[in-house]
Formats: sequence, structure tokens, C-alpha cells
Amino acid sequence: MFTLLKLEVLKLIRSRSFLLSFIALTTFVALMLWGFYSYAERKAGEQVTSQFKYTYESKSYFNGLTFALYSVMFSFSLLIPIFVAMTAGSQIAGERQAGTLRMICVRPVSRVSLLLSKFLVVAFYTYLLVAFFIGLNLLVGLLFVGWGDLQLYPGALNLVDEPGKLLRDEALWRFAYASVSGTWALLVIAAIAILFSVLFDNPATATVATLALYLVFHIVDRVEFFEHLRPYFFTTDMDFWRDVFKPEIPWQSFGRYGSICGAYIFGILLLAVAIFDRKDITS
Amino acid sequence: MWAKILLTVLCLSMIGIAAHFNSLRERSLLAAGAHDGPRLRLMTWNIGYAELEDDSRAHTKDLQAVAETILSNDPDAIALQELTGAEQLKILLGYLHGRYRGAVAPPGNSDRVDAVLVKDRDAGFESFPADGKFAIAASFHLRPELPKVVFVSAHADAFSAARRRVFTGEVVDWARNRPHQSIVLIAGDFNFELNPKNESHLYTDNVKNDSEAYSYALKYFRDLGRDAGYTAVNDRRIDYLFGPSEAVLLRRAEVLRGAGVGQMDHWPLLIEVAL
Repeated sequence: MFTLLKLEVLKLIRSRSFLLSFIALTTFVALMLWGFYSYAERKAGEQVTSQFKYTYESKSYFNGLTFALYSVMFSFSLLIPIFVAMTAGSQIAGERQAGTLRMICVRPVSRVSLLLSKFLVVAFYTYLLVAFFIGLNLLVGLLFVGWGDLQLYPGALNLVDEPGKLLRDEALWRFAYASVSGTWALLVIAAIAILFSVLFDNPATATVATLALYLVFHIVDRVEFFEHLRPYFFTTDMDFWRDVFKPEIPWQSFGRYGSICGAYIFGILLLAVAIFDRKDITS
Repeated sequence: MWAKILLTVLCLSMIGIAAHFNSLRERSLLAAGAHDGPRLRLMTWNIGYAELEDDSRAHTKDLQAVAETILSNDPDAIALQELTGAEQLKILLGYLHGRYRGAVAPPGNSDRVDAVLVKDRDAGFESFPADGKFAIAASFHLRPELPKVVFVSAHADAFSAARRRVFTGEVVDWARNRPHQSIVLIAGDFNFELNPKNESHLYTDNVKNDSEAYSYALKYFRDLGRDAGYTAVNDRRIDYLFGPSEAVLLRRAEVLRGAGVGQMDHWPLLIEVAL
């Protein structure tokens, strides 16, 4: 198992998509920094002070932690899932397309171990991606925006329903928690992509199918007509990761939705394992 | 095989944990003890009609039903919105058999007025401007030995979030500058649209403006009706009663959903606090 993991990690690091995902996230942070600067200047500038006083009176509202929070929130729902789906979707289907799957499977390695080691590597990659992104945002925030306490207002990120504040050190811990809770939520997408990777021969099809499923639920989740269906969408449950940024973490719902995500992850993996174990590999 | 069994066990454990967390009761704000000083019961109600009607202001024919709701719930003070003017208030006070005194705010740039009613015979009334309109406040004592209560009735613009923000800012600024000894409460229809998921057009900054206005109110006051649920049709919580953060204990927060008559699109919000 250890050798398998080592080989899979090496394969992942040598793939182009690995480097591409980190470059894309770095570019996104640069874009966010530019947008954040221009927005803060426009909103906190002299010309709108009279209008702006009604809420964001605190001069330290726009700081590096706020920047990191916005950046992480915006990228989590649409940007990071693309890379996770891309990497997970290519795990089995990619081997099949390259013609190496058959060769791997004739070796004395069980198919279940192979698939689980691939999933573990994807989980490691997801954590690396999320931790890198959060770390980079905090670093950029510290260097270019400056640090302070993290102030939270209702509405803007749909995070809290009354104003709250996290002191700087506590906020940094919350970002660390978010790297774990965010990874756990993203593993639902990774599990779906692994399943599609087992089902489809082409990695592009597996990735697109995963993203299509995720985006359809994500968009429908935000349409009023389907409000009564929201509790049944996995995208609704995935939102639990954001709870770590609330001044008082709601452990009840955090535990509940985190567990539901866990059920999705292990349930889908079980299905993928069962299918892969019996599948005829003819390519 | 062991891997499949492990995955099955993990999946079932996760379902079990999720079910466990679901069954645990959330802590309630209302769960504190009952014996804690005199009670102040307040009501806020926009008695106007839905926008689809020809005249969306309060209808005089409904005032008897409004009075019956007030009498059956027996609040110490009531904030009403969307009355046509002083004449309607006079009729309503008549239906209340002289148990309440009241006053309406000047109309300002609006075709409808806010009113405030109180039981205390010695209550004083004061209107003040906010974004071109007027809000009205009643000052009264629940008991002579208790601090003075200042109760504001206000109605923010229904169509412009930017105007709501300015209006809320001016009402809150007026309220927070009352003497420190008094207990200040702001009630009314603020029309805040705070949940982005309920915002069907995502290309405006309504949510941002409303969240800023709400945040500003919460900077100095507490949202006492937060757990009472929606107050208007289409599951909207747009009627609020803001009170002091520490001087009062919340004892009851309820939306009287059976109270609406005619084509009213709001229900009364009833709040009871211990002083």
C-alpha cells in the first residue's frame, strides 16, 4: 500500500495539472488583490464617506484577514472544485486512456487498494491545494493589505446573522480549521469524480460530468423555486465548512453536515470500489 | 473485502453521527427562568395591504379587527405602520375603548403615516425626521419607579435599499442619543432583504445595503424578534423590534400569523421582555 501511495504521489507531482492548479490559484489571488484594493479605495474614499458611515465605520475593516476570507469564500465554490474534479476524474480514466490501467491491474495489487490509494492521493492533493491557497491569501493579505481583527457582517457573505468579530490570533486558527473542513467538503466532489472516472473511459468526460453535476446542484441551490429541495442537495451540506468562521462555531450543525458529507464520501467510494472490482478492463 | 467492509462501516457511522446531531436540541434564548421583574409587552404591525391592491394603505374597515387583536394580546405599547392619517388612529382608539392613547407622525414625503399607541395616560409623543419621512416615538413609564421607556415606530422604504440604509441610520442615531437611563426600543417595518438566497435579482447591491443597515442597528441594539420567524407573506422577515442589548431579558417573541385581515401582507410581531 505504501509503495502504491508513493507511486501515485510521484505521478501526481509530475502531472501538468498539478502545477497548473497552483499557478491558476496564484493568479486568482493576484486578481483578488487588485479587485480588493480598487473596491476598498472606492468604498472607503473621501467621496463616499458620508454614505458609508452607516455600517463599515471601522477603519480597520478592510485588512488582510478580510481579504483572505473573501478570496477563500469566492474561490471555494467555483474555482477549487474544478481542480479537484480534474485530478480525481483522471485517476482511473486517465490510466485507461493512457493504456496503463490493464498493466497495473495484472500486477499482484488488488484493485481496491489501487483505487483507495488513488483516492488518498487525491485527498492529500486537495488538502495541499486548500492549505496553499489559504496560506497564500494570508501572506498576500499580510504583505499588501495589513492585518487586524476579522470583522463579520450579515448579508455580505451570508455567513453571520448579526455583526461579530474574531480577534486576529483566533481568526488565524479559524483559517487553519478551514483548511481541514474545506478539504473534507471538497472530498465529496473528489469521490464523485473518482466514481465517474471508474464509469467512463475518458478523463475529460469524468471531469465534465462531475463538474456538471456539481454546478447544476450549486446553481439550482440558489434559485428560489427549488428552496424546498435544498436539504437534499450535497452542495447544501458542503457549505458546512464555512461555519468555522462564525464567532461561535455551531458545533451541532457543523457535526451534522460534516457527517453527511462523510456519508457521501464513503458511500460513493464504496460504490466506486464495488464497480471497479468487477469491471472488465478491455483497453 | 476488508476495504469494502471498512467503507460500509464508515458510511454507516457518518449517517449515525448525522442523525445524533440532528436529534440534539438547540439552546433557546427563551429558556431562562421566569421570575425576573416586571414585563413589558410590545407589538409592531404594518396594517397596510399588499402592493397588488389599489390602495395599499390601511383600510378603515379592518380597524375593528386590528383593535380586537390588540385587546386580546394586551400589549403595553403598539407601533403601527401605513395608516392613512390621524382620522384612522382616532377610529382605532375608539375601538380600543379608551384603553390606549396614541399619536401619528407627520406624513413627510409619504402618503402614509406611522403611529404609536400606549396604555400609560401620561405618555409623551415626539416625531422626528428620517430621510424625508417621519418616525414617531412614545415616552412612558411602565411603573413610576421604573426607567422611562422610549418606543419608536418606523417604516423604511419598500423599494430602495439605499434609502432604507439612510433611513435606518437616522432612526438609530436618534434612538441611541436618548438619555442613558431610558430603555429605548425601535419597532417597525424595515423591509430588510438580508438573505442573498432570497434575492431573485443578484445584480443589485440590495443585500449589501440592507446588511449594512441591519448591522448598524445591531451595533447599538438587539434584534428581539430574531427567533420569531417570518412576519410577512412570501416567508419574509421584514418587521423588526430592536431593543437594548443588556437592559432587558427577552421572554417571548411571536408572530401572530392568524391576525391578518383583508389583504394585509404583514402579521403583528409580539415581544415580551422583562425589565
